[in-house]
Amino acid sequence: MSIPSAPDATTLDAGATAAVVPSVDVAPEVQAVAWRHRHLLDVDGLSAADLDLVMRTTDAMREVLARPIAKVPALRGRQVTILFYEASTRTRVSFEVAAKNLSADVVNIAAASSSVAKGESLVDTVRTVEALGAQMLVMRHSVSGAPYLAAEVFGGSVLNGGDGWHAHPTQALLDLYTMRERLPGGPAEGGSMAGRKVVILGDILHSRVARSNIWTLTAAGADLWLCGPATLVRGFEAWAGRGAAAGRRFHVTTSVDEALRDADVVMALRIQRERMAAGLLPSLREYAARYGLTRERLALARPDALVMHPGPMNEGVEIAPDVAAGSQSVITNQVTNGVAVRMALLYLLAGTHGTGGA
Amino acid sequence: MTVQGPDVEIRGAWLVDPAAGREGPGDIIVRDGILETVTWLSGAEARGIEPDGVVIAPGFIDLHVHLREPGNEDAETVATGLAAAAHGGFTTVCAMPNTDPVLDEPGVLSRVLAAAAASGSPVELLAHGAVTVGRAGEQLAALGELADAGVVGFSDDGAPVRTGSILRAALAYTGALGLPIVDHPEDAGLTAGAEANDGFVATVLGLRGWPAAAEEAAVARDLAVLGDVVRDVPGARLHLTHLSTAGALDLVRRAKAARLPVTCDVTPHHLALTDEWIAGARRWAWEASGDPWADDALVAGPYATALRVNPPLRTPADAAACMTALADGTADAVATDHAPHTEVDKAVEFGAAANGISGLETALGVLLAAVDAGRLTLPRAIAALTTGPAGVLGARSRRGNAVGLVEGAPADLVVFDRSERWTVTPDGLASRGKNSPLVGLALSGKVLVTLAGGRIAYEAPDA
Repeated sequence: MSIPSAPDATTLDAGATAAVVPSVDVAPEVQAVAWRHRHLLDVDGLSAADLDLVMRTTDAMREVLARPIAKVPALRGRQVTILFYEASTRTRVSFEVAAKNLSADVVNIAAASSSVAKGESLVDTVRTVEALGAQMLVMRHSVSGAPYLAAEVFGGSVLNGGDGWHAHPTQALLDLYTMRERLPGGPAEGGSMAGRKVVILGDILHSRVARSNIWTLTAAGADLWLCGPATLVRGFEAWAGRGAAAGRRFHVTTSVDEALRDADVVMALRIQRERMAAGLLPSLREYAARYGLTRERLALARPDALVMHPGPMNEGVEIAPDVAAGSQSVITNQVTNGVAVRMALLYLLAGTHGTGGA
Repeated sequence: MTVQGPDVEIRGAWLVDPAAGREGPGDIIVRDGILETVTWLSGAEARGIEPDGVVIAPGFIDLHVHLREPGNEDAETVATGLAAAAHGGFTTVCAMPNTDPVLDEPGVLSRVLAAAAASGSPVELLAHGAVTVGRAGEQLAALGELADAGVVGFSDDGAPVRTGSILRAALAYTGALGLPIVDHPEDAGLTAGAEANDGFVATVLGLRGWPAAAEEAAVARDLAVLGDVVRDVPGARLHLTHLSTAGALDLVRRAKAARLPVTCDVTPHHLALTDEWIAGARRWAWEASGDPWADDALVAGPYATALRVNPPLRTPADAAACMTALADGTADAVATDHAPHTEVDKAVEFGAAANGISGLETALGVLLAAVDAGRLTLPRAIAALTTGPAGVLGARSRRGNAVGLVEGAPADLVVFDRSERWTVTPDGLASRGKNSPLVGLALSGKVLVTLAGGRIAYEAPDA
């Protein structure tokens, strides 16, 4: 289960340059793809080869998205159910667009409008959507680990669209894809992610985005730094210590200057108002003053450093509006790549478990 | 071995009698329910009889079980709970009062004892009464009436005695009655929404951390209040149940050294399981590295709700501290905190699952795993299930202080075979609570016969 360490990560980059673009105009099961996972619940079980395949398949999906009619028949006749127990617009719509681009039939269930509000259990809901024809289940839930429970009872493939504080696999994969594509001197220009300084700034403790990025970025060999107030990075030092021993090194700091200095990528995370109520932060104002990604702070990073944010943003809190909209920002590229990455994952999962059933 | 009704004759077994401080080869004969003879063998007769085969020990005592009746009979009844006890080798169990209604007055105790009588089980059912009315932490329950009706202690278990002031009053009042307060130490201000031990595993899995400090702060409070009360009420006694952290056990170790009248227990799951199991590891605490992701130890899926328990499974170092405390006597007893739950309450998201492990039937097997691994001696394991809890109970069990292989007394003993492994299965558990994280695993020490109060409480189908 462990993520391979740096030597394998260089293979990942080398593989990308020699990418064989899968033909996405045919159903996935007719291709001999090396994808062997039935579900995508976390990124901790993905090998360097898996990540490479996701990146290459995403390249192919980008090519589809560039066509005049961005649609392929790969998942024609498949039913993809999108079951979201948490409010979300961008991730839900991204999955929906991705599934429709692959010609899947899409069923959307928002927890507020379903029988969930009447107290139906997750297990019952999953059995019901399967009985209604779902072959792939995209799921978001506020409780860490919930997709594992769904995967125990669902006959098809479960794709985790974010669970509690635990994991957000497609976000981490689209982040990695965006870095590989946009980083000056990076993989798209014949370089590598190895040793490139990536900073995740903000509320690490409550962030499934940060957790998933730890797995993928350490696997890619990046020099990963987590930065935030002490209350919001607590516990990660112990992870970093064990990670170092296991060849998946990263750093934790409360010093924003130390984190940003010479960074290649700076990813700001959303700060939520609940953190004040929980006594973890004095105020949003103080957070913005001490950790907000402003133009002045960004000047500590490399001049061509990428600015990222998984959204939705609190502009003026964790990120200044002029930074979010500035020339270094690749935030809209993240959104576009999100569709391509989700197409790639739906496609790959359909290939291993295309028709539902046990 | 022959078993015919109340007559049992076993020759050439390994006897363990912690009350007598003795173990070795021997024979026993039970006639008409009375342990007629206990013969310790020596010389040629003893040759070849090792402690790795059939073992006979006094019947086990569990200071902490939840039998769920009245109020949640879907999870367990007194009858199924006592059957589970017998299957696990226990002949005396102490039920916690967090039933519905709460056992905070003698009427509820009567119902529970009537259910035990109606079950026909010879397993002895003792009960703890609530400390406060409705376990609400505000007003003292009918402590004197409950004492008169026969409770063996008082506990608001499931939650701590809420405030220091009510604990102070309760310790004084029950101390004068000669009964202990059994506290579940947890500072609720540190555990709101908590899901798993605050540490590396919870961080990686994105589970809300349950700090060791929540238990240690509560233990420190309890000991400070006890120290205060005992000056005026020398009979005041505190028992801390299911201690799970190195720091909490250290506090008790020091309090005992200072001669405070405190006792404590640890559970089999906190001795042998760790938070690594929530990530998907299935190795004993003494084999754990603390980073199951690094050494390919993840053999099961993560977030199994059978592992959600209060207090949470802790780190390998905490489990080792529990073992050390058991070995050095800081921990007086092993108690299962048997907490059966329905499928409905467990087949949900990890964070929404009920806390608790169904533990009566696996306690022996788990302790024997520690014995097999050289982490615990067999006599100490047996003492922790017999003389240890008996010491906490005083003479309030029907066995009085005679928790040993005592000739002439009604037979109260368990016979198990260390050479015989059995696999834990839901159907194989007599408890209605199938919520055991050990389901699917093999344990040694299959129970062959349990005799309680001179009657057969359990007999293996093929014994």
